[in-house]
Amino acid sequence: MRNVSQIIDGKRKIIKKPELLAPAGNLEKLKIAIIYGADAVFIGGKEFSLRSQASNFTLEDIREAVLFANQYNAKIHVTCNIILHQDNLEGIKEYLQALDDIGVSAIIVADPYIMILTKQMNLKLEVHVSTQLSTLNSKAIQFYKNMGMDRVVLGREVTYDNLKVLLNETDMDIEYFIHGAMCIHYSGRCMLSNYLARRDANRGGCCQSCRWYYDLYNNDTLITSENDMPFTMSSKDMALVNHIGELIELGVDSFKIEGRMKSFHYIATVVSTYRKLIDGYCDDPDNFIMDDSYKNELNKAANRALCHGFFYDNPGINEQLYNIRDEHPTQEFVLRVIDYDKESHIATIEQRNYFKVGDKIEIFSPTHSNLFFTVKKIYNGDKEEVDVANHPMEILYIEMDQYVEKNDMGRKVIR
Amino acid sequence: MKLVISLNNKSRLYDYHDMGIRYYIIGTSYSLYTPHILSIDDIKEMILSYPDCYFYVNLNALYDQNEINDIELYIDSLSYIGVSGLLFQDFGILQIVKEKGYDFDMMYAPETLNTNAQSINTLSNLGITSAFLSHVIPLEEQVNIKHHTTIPLMMFGHGVEYMAASKRKLITNYKEASQKAFDDDHLMIQDRSSKKKMYIFENNRNTLIFTEERLYTLDLLNQIHDMDYLYIETLFMDDNEAIEVASIYSDALSSTNYNRDVSDLRALLYQMYKPLGRGFLFDNTVYKLEDVRKIDNEKRESNH
Repeated sequence: MRNVSQIIDGKRKIIKKPELLAPAGNLEKLKIAIIYGADAVFIGGKEFSLRSQASNFTLEDIREAVLFANQYNAKIHVTCNIILHQDNLEGIKEYLQALDDIGVSAIIVADPYIMILTKQMNLKLEVHVSTQLSTLNSKAIQFYKNMGMDRVVLGREVTYDNLKVLLNETDMDIEYFIHGAMCIHYSGRCMLSNYLARRDANRGGCCQSCRWYYDLYNNDTLITSENDMPFTMSSKDMALVNHIGELIELGVDSFKIEGRMKSFHYIATVVSTYRKLIDGYCDDPDNFIMDDSYKNELNKAANRALCHGFFYDNPGINEQLYNIRDEHPTQEFVLRVIDYDKESHIATIEQRNYFKVGDKIEIFSPTHSNLFFTVKKIYNGDKEEVDVANHPMEILYIEMDQYVEKNDMGRKVIR
Repeated sequence: MKLVISLNNKSRLYDYHDMGIRYYIIGTSYSLYTPHILSIDDIKEMILSYPDCYFYVNLNALYDQNEINDIELYIDSLSYIGVSGLLFQDFGILQIVKEKGYDFDMMYAPETLNTNAQSINTLSNLGITSAFLSHVIPLEEQVNIKHHTTIPLMMFGHGVEYMAASKRKLITNYKEASQKAFDDDHLMIQDRSSKKKMYIFENNRNTLIFTEERLYTLDLLNQIHDMDYLYIETLFMDDNEAIEVASIYSDALSSTNYNRDVSDLRALLYQMYKPLGRGFLFDNTVYKLEDVRKIDNEKRESNH
């Protein structure tokens, strides 16, 4: 058993608090992830990274990310997790050296050549074994440990029971997915995108063909008629929000949130929720009360229905999406707070989506509880009163009686 | 180049042996997939009956923590009966074999990951002794890798191609969700856009997807002659087709420098099964944003 707690002043406290690792597709998202409580953020560079459709970071961006993270004592992990082909090898050494020079904490790697190369170069960079290698057992972890790797990101197929045994068998640093989208097939072992769309999944081109609709045949006879539920392999997203306490008690080293392609609002909501949950639990694990508020909060930013993935066992129909797709968040992200004047009760905000006078807005924050208000007055840059906010990124001023802080965000309450 | 066949029926071993084939991949209940499951006693019997042959066991699944103790015992048994090698993709298998000091030929066969020479060479310093090249890279790249690696390589030569494996029971789940009753045998899915069909099935471990199209390399042998092994996948073949295909390749490989005109043999292949294809041998995949957009635009234009 990993020792995770200690009695302090007569009360058990968690002394091994897991790292909260968040995704970011660009600098703005990265900063928000850190402000909202991420201990570390993983990002992709322009080269050698999966998720080719995320904006991804230049070396200059990565330098800025590291400088920003340092102010918050946070870490930056860079994904170098493509499966290399012969023509991808050029420049890898220089790239690794540059990441090390910039002060990146770790790289996430799927290709054994990059793993060993990094170690041979005597860099300070930690090397984390990517989930693309679908590591599911302690013997495989031992193999990577013998290679000199610093951490293993487990495959999403690892159940709680197997995780428990596995953590007892190894002292390796272990990263476990707690939230986000799931590959329906073993990661790194799926060629559907390659075959159906000529887009290489293992080099970041995945077109998510598992989420498409297919016709099902028995020999040459079509089974699925037009009115039938189409065959699909789409998975609900994973949210282990109800199991965070159990995972902390096991001594998991890092909790990973998936989603470099996700929005600013999504990242803030998800990171903030797990931050509060982890801190609350660690502070007083024996008296911590898990209520629905955490899950409700996550649902406000969810793109798909949520499930517990492989936590209990092999997922059944309740963990898959058929024709019951729900890709609409219940609340819409409308504003970000830039400043608040306590005297005038005027908040300076950056408009993100349409809202108007009379709308009910929920404010959420990395530092205080959620609060609600109804929009009474909106002023534009010339301090003229307007009825609607309909220009994204426009700086506006709104009256708010309650105190808000810079980087708080507002969602329009729809339901 | 030696011909290697996934054994689809142990009673036909005599026929394959008679053709001169000496390398066999054996499936067990621990295999990710296999045309035929054999017991330890079956394998032992074959090893004793055919001492001039090499029997490799497919331990090529990804194993959960709760399976590891059983797998260790199973590997002990395989060593005891004298299996030549293991095909694997889970480095846990390699770790077990290293810890026990067994001397199997450890062929790294992860379906999708052996795509460059440097990684294979790196792994050869960590215990793998041969490798099965990924079939999702072009022929030219496969040959190039062969020229830059130091351990024996196997190339996919003929048969249905692996596409994906899921730990989930995707057919069972769909059946339950849709409330449709249908026979699970011979199921195929068809993408509505590309119209490509693929086999889909569940076994005791996973749901697996394979191309309907069988890849063939019969007329490319003179380009790939440097490879050490050429693999024939017999999954979804009946006995006769497997025997015929093995015989055709065996015949073609028997000619000097593989320069024989194989048009007659190729015609035989086409008579037996359609569709045949080239898989990824002559087709590059893309992944960079600009290339992805280009493909999407081309597709859009061709739809108008």
